[in-house]
This record gives sequence, structure tokens and C-alpha cells, in this order.
Amino acid sequence: MISQVFILSSKGDHLIYKDFRGEASNDVINVFYEMVTSLRGDQPPVVMNHEGLHFIHVRQGGLYCVATTTANPSPFTIIEFLNRFLGLIKDYCGSLSEKSVKMNFALIYEMLDEMLDYGYIQTSSTDILKNFIQTEAVSSKPFSLFDLSNVGLFGADTQQSKVAPSAAASRPIMSSRDQGVKNEIFVDVIERLTVVIGANGVLMKAEIQGEIRVKCYLPSCSEMRIGLNEEFSIGKSQLRGYGSAVRVDECRFHQAVKLEEFDSYRILRICPSQGEQTVMQYQLSDDLPSAPPFRLFPTVERDSGGRLLIYLKLRCDLPPKSAALNVSVTVPVPKGSLSLSQELSSPDQKAELQPSSKAVLWEIPRFPGGAQLSALFKLEVPGLSSASLLEVGPVSLSFELPKHTCTGLQIRFLRLSPAQPGPPQRWVRYVTHSDSYTIRI
Amino acid sequence: MTDSKYFTTTKKGEIFELKAELNSDKKEKKKEAVKKVIASMTVGKDTDNLELKKLVYLYLMNYAKSQPDMAIMAVNTFVKVVANAVAALSEIAESHPNSNLLDLNPQSINKLLTALNECTDICERVTPRLSHANSAVVLSAVKVLMKFMEMLPKDLDYYGTLLKKLAPPLVTLLSAEPELQYVALRNINLIVQKRPEILKHEMKVFFVKYNDPIYVKLEKLDIMIRLASQANIAQVLAELKEYATEVDVDFVRKAVRAIGRCAIKVEQSAERCVSTLLDLIQTKVNYVVQEAIVVIKDIFRKYPNKYESVIATLCENLDSLDEPEARAAMIWIVGEYAERIDNADELLESFLEGFHDESTQVQLQLLTAIVKLFLKKPTETQELVQQVLSLATQDSDNPDLRDRGYIYWRLLSTDPVAAKEVVLAEKPLISEETDLIEPTLLEELICHIGTLASVYHKPPSAFVEGSRGVQHKRLPARSGSGESAESPEAAQPAVSEAPPAVIPSQGDLLGDLLNLDLGPPTSGATPAPTSGMQMGAMDLLGGGLDSLLGGDIGGSPAMGAGFGAAPAVMPASLNAPVGGGLGDLFDLGGGVGMPTGAYVAPKTVWLPAMKAKGLEISGTFARRAGVIQMELSLTNKAMSVMTDFAIQFNRNSFGLAPAGPLQVLTPLSPNQTIEVAVKNNIDVFYFSCQYPISILFVEDGKMERQVFLATWKDIPNDNEAQFQVKDCHLNTDAATNKLQSSNIFTIAKRTVEGQDMLYQSIKLTNGIWVLAELRVQAGNPNYTLSLKCRAPEVSQFVFQCYEMILKN
Repeated sequence: MISQVFILSSKGDHLIYKDFRGEASNDVINVFYEMVTSLRGDQPPVVMNHEGLHFIHVRQGGLYCVATTTANPSPFTIIEFLNRFLGLIKDYCGSLSEKSVKMNFALIYEMLDEMLDYGYIQTSSTDILKNFIQTEAVSSKPFSLFDLSNVGLFGADTQQSKVAPSAAASRPIMSSRDQGVKNEIFVDVIERLTVVIGANGVLMKAEIQGEIRVKCYLPSCSEMRIGLNEEFSIGKSQLRGYGSAVRVDECRFHQAVKLEEFDSYRILRICPSQGEQTVMQYQLSDDLPSAPPFRLFPTVERDSGGRLLIYLKLRCDLPPKSAALNVSVTVPVPKGSLSLSQELSSPDQKAELQPSSKAVLWEIPRFPGGAQLSALFKLEVPGLSSASLLEVGPVSLSFELPKHTCTGLQIRFLRLSPAQPGPPQRWVRYVTHSDSYTIRI
Repeated sequence: MTDSKYFTTTKKGEIFELKAELNSDKKEKKKEAVKKVIASMTVGKDTDNLELKKLVYLYLMNYAKSQPDMAIMAVNTFVKVVANAVAALSEIAESHPNSNLLDLNPQSINKLLTALNECTDICERVTPRLSHANSAVVLSAVKVLMKFMEMLPKDLDYYGTLLKKLAPPLVTLLSAEPELQYVALRNINLIVQKRPEILKHEMKVFFVKYNDPIYVKLEKLDIMIRLASQANIAQVLAELKEYATEVDVDFVRKAVRAIGRCAIKVEQSAERCVSTLLDLIQTKVNYVVQEAIVVIKDIFRKYPNKYESVIATLCENLDSLDEPEARAAMIWIVGEYAERIDNADELLESFLEGFHDESTQVQLQLLTAIVKLFLKKPTETQELVQQVLSLATQDSDNPDLRDRGYIYWRLLSTDPVAAKEVVLAEKPLISEETDLIEPTLLEELICHIGTLASVYHKPPSAFVEGSRGVQHKRLPARSGSGESAESPEAAQPAVSEAPPAVIPSQGDLLGDLLNLDLGPPTSGATPAPTSGMQMGAMDLLGGGLDSLLGGDIGGSPAMGAGFGAAPAVMPASLNAPVGGGLGDLFDLGGGVGMPTGAYVAPKTVWLPAMKAKGLEISGTFARRAGVIQMELSLTNKAMSVMTDFAIQFNRNSFGLAPAGPLQVLTPLSPNQTIEVAVKNNIDVFYFSCQYPISILFVEDGKMERQVFLATWKDIPNDNEAQFQVKDCHLNTDAATNKLQSSNIFTIAKRTVEGQDMLYQSIKLTNGIWVLAELRVQAGNPNYTLSLKCRAPEVSQFVFQCYEMILKN
């Protein structure tokens, strides 16, 4: 059972504090903050012990969300609870940040009160909590003219409004009861890509972790059917036909998902509750259906002036219609590096030497599929030796691939039954994030 | 207006302000005020707002009264609690048959087989949980299966199937948030140590990602080493080499160490590891070089005389070493291989210059290394060794260093050959896995998978305060290895083998905190006659041997407390006269006066009055008409009336308990002490007293002659114990009668050359037979007693009994 729950800002301000069992005083908040900020690099912070009191915490959105306990409970249960708690704050308040927590503290206390009783977890379901929560959420989003850009002249729908703004899904589920609820449902297919490419260009490791997430703003619960690719298969042996089979190794479903039609038609049936939930999680390792999105051709040498030259050619192997956004390439360089001069192929790119981590950060805001970019970095390194060349690399990339899934998973259709009064808006979004994309030199 | 403004500091006079707002007519203002109070309480402004808190509380109470709708909310909460209880009950019910079955398993092959089928069902019920969305559920399912696999023979097909089923959920846990990942990795670390086969093909999962938090990286690294084997070592080494060039210093250090651990764990990889380490040394990155040297030293220890070619490279980096551990490692290498390093003396001399500034670790190592060098090249290094010895012995205030210096000095000056043997002795190879969790702890931790214990890698008792109710859990005995699990007849004799060292030694008794007996009957000698009554309260409490000597003080009515032993095989008829329950305990009529028959030791004080608020208890044990009796004299030395007496015994070896429902206990160590609690209207008092084993001798202890002969032969001679009963002036017949009245039966008598040999048998309440041969020589007051018993631990006590009976 949980003794206390508290939320701290990254600066250690107390935002939320609730004691359930009276087993410890609230001094422990400061104790926790001191402990967590004075940890050495190799000390794990997740579970910490102070005089018989155990702190278990997660960090999200710059906030420490901490539970304390004096017993020997399952840390998984507590971490899952904390994650869920933060998820609910996100659901109810629209976003998770110091600001949103401060603005909605009364709501959050009310939630905590219902979720835990004498430290025992009662419920974390949005649907059940909805009955008890009275406080209304205060949204932090300031009014902006930009929001109006989607509305056409005289309120007519424009072509643009077919694309949901990225902030559309970050609003409180319960807010503005009187303002006419928008019947919306968002289905996101999110994949995280982990790739390691060896120095010889061989793909050493590839892994995709994906999930289908539903964010539901429908007031009443109705059944939803999500149709996946028909050729979707699970496990190594099942190969259906030839060509563009979509395959994953492992698949997990939310316990509320009904799978009667899954085996034959690849249809998930679910009654989504309000708020965000992960309907399905899947993963695929090693056997990517397509080439990894980026390839790097590096050359590292010393020039006659004793400078270190790093010449990078980066190719994007996405289909020509897609593009990668916010690509940033990090190249670790020798510790002695003093200054950087660079030659980049277009003006919207940026590159700089980061003095703290001793790495060159190369940023490319948009990288279309099939394109190839190159960059030349010249580094001033006093006392450059052949050993320092070994310090260059491995290169890591982070990026976002909108409208793209690496497994090829697609959502064929999204049906709500019974039909809603007033047609609900249904949005399907695909995105692939880089989790850890490393290219060795 | 947003609520966050309440978090900004508030001014003085706020209480009045808030009061006004709370009392305001406007609903909005009231709400604001309440929020303000809650916010300031979070920030920690608590104490001075007591009045306000009260106001809020009153406000809420009134509100709830006036708004019945809101009360429903509270009621709803209660409904939830009921639901919780139902869930918990059903969960217990679900897990109960499970645990039952697992307990039943060891009993017989048949049961094992049938239970196995049923267990398989349970497994089939558990396995779907492995793909549950909640990782807490997944890990609990893993735990159930891990424990279940302990019961399965390894060659069973099902075992392999389970192994395969366990890997994917564990891998999936690693795709969660870093915090969950970390907890999962700590658990996987345990699982891998217990059953590496589960994840042996999943090495790649543990390769670190560049954006993993450092604590996840380090944990992954540890698991990688545990999974390293000949099959995957190349892959692992390539990864480790990459890690060693990363940015994070802590991680790089651990990666370099990991390379060394690989070399020690997988012999075939040692050469590649060494060359990888040499490559890393070439980078000249200071901390990498130092770590590499530390691990190369370990590799030298594991594979002596194999990789010495690299020493030259190491020596090049001498100057860059600034950490004690690396310096000590390097000095060790130089000393150990002094004969192959031409300028070893110069190298060591250079270290010697700043001897006093070095850490103890380096100083000790330097001292040893120079002595080694001297023994290898005595001619050139005499000066050096003298210098270091004087530095260590005269100028140092570290006792370890000084002692080691003196030892070397003496060794070298008295016997150089011996010195060589000592200092240059062959060292034991270092073991491959020094960091494994010890097996018993590991087993306990496996039982705690998915709890905090598995994160700390400590048993719960180590960190849960007042760990009452925390049991040391153990994995069930493996069915394949323990015969007792499979053969029913093997299970029975285990009982007699069970007590390993049964005679309570002094240490045992002292260790037992509850047991205050300070005079344990360990020696066979007659206790020195002491005037028992004058002993201190402590000794009196102990009872023990003093009870044999003390006098009866009871001025109060003596009480015969009948109680039954635990007759595992005792015929029921003997048990018949045992009275029932506490009512009988205070039967004032019985037990007054000394009856003839079995010897009864005089009463001694077991509980002095000063320890028990005026209640003094003295007592003794007797056996009358087949019933073991504890006779107590209770004296009230206090001013007030005592009533409501009750008695209870702590669990003891022979299962003595106040008559009533009896428990059958297996014979454990014959520790003849009972801890007794006596309760009256004033308090509960505890004392312990020792009972003579003679009260356990049963009436049907007379063995048939033939049986006696066969048994005597059957019991191995190792079990025979010989004792001398000294200063006994009875003739043979008197002795026989005396013994007979205490249920020691003489079966046969032989006279050889003026020596009477009495063959006697005794049976204890729990069915143990003791066979005795008593030799009595006319005119010699010393008898010789030989005892043979299948449970030789009791012989000592039986002997004491003989002595007691014969002398009284």
C-alpha cells in the first residue's frame, strides 16, 4: 500500500502532497528531493530508501511523481499506478506540466482521494472516476488567433480542417460541459524505432515498438471497431501470401479489447472509455519490412593543418512522398575539440559544437524521402592523435516520421456502432519516432 | 484568473481575508477561498491556519448535510471498498488451490503425477496473464511459473515449453518507461542468475540504447555479462567495445570492467578481450586506461603466464595512472612479473618516491611488490627493499602496513627460503563469478519477484521495518534431486536423521534467547552439589540441574498438573487417565506428598517472587500412573489476592503440553527445557524449567528378550555410549527395583566373574527405545553403563536419569 503521494516540480516546489496512512511526516518531501538531486551517475533513482521509507517515483513532463511506502509492495504496481495517475492528469487537465498541475490542484486532490483509500488503490478508470469528480478542469491553452485558421470563411469547412491540428488531442476530456462537446475520437498508431548500424553499414539491430492509442472524447460509450491490415500476422512462422505482409513478433491487447473477429478479419472491438488508452502494443525485432530510414556514409580524417575533418553523407531511404521532420544528428567528437566550422548543403540546417557533451549537433528541420544531404565539419583539436580519431562516433539520430509506420501497419477502417447522434469526427494518425537510432563509425 | 496564483506567496492578514471570503455570499468567492486554503496547505503553510482548516471542515460538513446528492459520493466509496474485499477474497481463493497443490507434491509419486496434471491446468490459467497490459500482473505470473518450474523435472517437454513462454513477456517489459524497465531489469537479473536458459537467445534485447538512462544502461550491462557464453561472446564483445567509447564516464568504466569479466567468464574469449582492452588503452583516455589495467590484472590472475606480452604496453601508461586502484593493480603486475620486466626496479622505485602520499591500498601493494622483486633479483635490489621496509615499519602509522612490513622483514632476515615460499606462493585462481548472489538468498529473492526486495536484491526482512509476518520464503525442494519427494518410505526415516547435532551445546542454549537455562547438562559428570536455594534469581529461573538438588519450599498447596506427552506411536490406553483442559491443572487433591514409585526430584524454585510480582512458583516433574505430571507450588508473597490462573507451555521437543488436545510432534532435539507461561489476574509470567527425561519413560517399555538381542545387534556400534555412574552403594537387586519403578525394565541378568550385567530397556513417549547394559561389580561403587539407541542424542539424558535415580 501507498503511504504518501506527492508531486514536485523540477525545482523541488511542492505541488501536490497527500498522506494516506500517517506513517511519515511531510518532511520526507524535502528528503526525497535532496536524495534525488544528489545521486551519483551510477546510482539508480527509481527506488530509494530513507530510514525505512521507500520512495518510488517516475519523472514525466519535468515533474517528479512520488509514492512512498513502508512495506514490501510490488514496485510495478506502484509505478504503473503513478504512470496511470499522470495519464489521468493529462486526460483531465489536457496536458501534464507544472503549470497545468498548479492550475488544477483541486481537481488532482479530488482524483487522488478517489483513486486511493488508506493507501490502497481503488480505481484508475476514467469512466468510474468521472462519476466522482466534480471540479472542472482549467485549461492552460491561451486563446490564439491561430486556432481560427482552420475555420474557413463564414464557418465553412476548408480542406485544411481535414487535418487535425497537432494540439487537438491535448485538451481536457471533461471540460466545458456547457460549450457543446465535440464528438471526436483519435486513433494514433505510434511506433518507436531502435536501430544500430555497424561501422561496415550492416544492420546490427533493429527493433520496433508500436502501439495503437485511442483518445476518446465521445460522451457516451459505444462500441468501436478498428480494422487492421488483413495481411497482418503475428509470430515468425505465419506468412500470409507474399509481398507486403505486415508482421510483428509480439502483440498485447488492452484487457477490454474483444478479439472474436481478430483471428479471421483482424478487427479489434472495444468500448473506449473517455480519455486516453493504449489498445494494442506490438513489437518487431530484427526483421524490418523495409530498409532503415537513414544511412550514413562518414569519412573521418586529419587534414594537413592538423584539423579533424568529418565528412558525413546522410541518405533518407523513405519513399519520396514521405519526409522526416526534426532530424537531429549527434556526432561525438574528441574531448579536446575547441571550435567547429561547417559546410552544410542548405541554409535551413544548423550545426553547432556542444561544449558540455563534446558533440556536434546537426539539425535538419525537414528531410524528404530519397534525398541525400551532406555536411563537412572541421574541428580544431589541439594535440590530435590517431587515438583521438577513435573518439569520433557513434552517430545518433533522432527524428519523427509523420504519416509513416515502419511495420506497415495501417488502420483500414474505424466504425462506431450504434451510429452516434451527430457524426463524430474520427481521426487516424500515424507517426514513427526514433527511440535510439545509432550508426557506428 | 487561474488557480496557480494561490501558490505564490501570501501576505499577512490573509486569515481575515480568507475568513471574509469564506463567509461571503457569493458562491464563487467561497470556492476561491477554499482553494486558497488547500494550496497553502500543500506548500507547507499548515500550522498557523488551523482555524481556517476548521472552517473549511465545517463548511464541508454543512454542505454535505444540505446536499444529499453529495452524500451518495461518499456511499459510493464504501461500495468500492466492498468490491475490493470481494476481489481480494476471490484472489485468495484462486491462489489457494495452487499453493495447496504445490505443498502436496512431495508426498508421493502418484500424488505428484496427478498433481502435476492439475498444476499444468493452473499454469494454463496463469500463462495468459503473461501478456497482460499491466506489468505487475505479468511479473506475478512470471513468479508463479518460476516457482512452478522448480517442481518440474527438467527433461519434461512441458518444462521447455514454459521456458519458451517466459522469454517474450520479459522482453516486452523492456519496452516500457525507463522506470519500469529498471525494475524489470533488476528482476530479470535475478531470473537470469537462477535460469539463464530462459533468456539465452535474447542477448540483443539487453544491448543499450544511447538514450537509455544511465541506471538502465548499467543494469543491462550486468545482465549481458551474466548471459555471456561461448556462443554469443563475439557479439557481446563488439558491443562492449562500442560502449567503451561512449561519453558517460560511469558507463564507460563499467563497460571496460565488463570486458574483463567476459574474459574471466568465457575462457575462449580471453584473448580477444585482452586485445580489445589493449585497443582501448591506445585511446589514452585516462579513465579507460585505468579501468583496463585493473581488469587486466584480474585476467592475469585467472590465466597466469599467458598474456604477459602485453606488460610492455601497460608500462607505457604508468604516468597516467592517478587512481589508487589502478596504481595498485599496476604495481601488482610489476611485482608479479618482475623477472620479465627489465626495469622493474626502476619502475617500483619511481612509485616509492611519493610513498607517504599514496593510499593504503597502494602502499601495501608496493611493499609486497618490492619484496617479490627482491626475492627474484636479490642482488640488485637490496637497497630498495631496505628502503621500503623502513618506510613501512618506521615511518608509517598504519598498523596493517607496519605489521606486514615486520613480517616480511623477519621472514627475510631469518629464513629467506621460507620467505620465498610464502611471498611467491602460487595464488589460487580467481573464480569466474564473484558477484553472484549467494544461492540461498537468490532462492528467497526469486520468491519475492515483483516486490521491492527484488529491486534492492535484499530479503524483505532487511528493509521492512518490524518485519513481523515476513516469512523467509524458500523455493520448494526440487523434485528430481530429493529422493524424499518421490519415495514414500524414504520420507519416514528422514525423521530420525533430521536432527544433525542434537545435544544442546552451551552455545545453543545461550543463543536461544528465550531459554534462560545457564547450566546445560552437557557434561556427563555429576553436578557439583551446590546449595541450590541460595542461588541468584537468574539461576533459579534456569532451573536445570539445580532442580535436582534444591529443597521444597512450597508453603502453599502443591498442585499436580497433569499433562500428556505427544505420543506419536504411544498406545492410546496409556493416555487415558490424562485429564482434560485447564480445569484439571489445579486439582488440589492430587499430588500432595511424595508417592512411592518413580523417583521424583524435589521441587525447586522456577519463578522467584521478585520476578513475578509476588508469585513464586516452584515445581518438579513426576510420572504417576502413566501420566506425566508437573507439580507446582504456587506461593503468593504479595499483598493482594491472586486469581484466574492459567498455564501454557511453549512448544518443546517432546511435545509436552497441558493435558488436552495434543499435537503430535516428531522427536527433535531432546532439549528438555520447557518454557512455561503462567497467568493470573495480575500478569502473565514466563519461566523455563527442565524436566528429567525419566518422566518420559513409558510403562510398556519392557522389551522381549529376543527382540532385545536383535535390536542390540542391529543398532550400530557408533551409537553406543558408555558412562560411569560413580559412588553408588546399592546392590544389584535394589538398583533393579529402583530403576523398575521409574520404568527402566531389566530384561535379563548375567553374572560373569563377580560382575553383574543387567540388560535393560526403556521406551520414551515418542517411541524411541533405549537399550542399556549396566555392569555392577560387587564392592566397586562405580557402575558402568552402556547405552544403545537409534537416536544417540538421548543417551546423555538417560544417563543423567540413571544417576539421579540410583542416588536417590
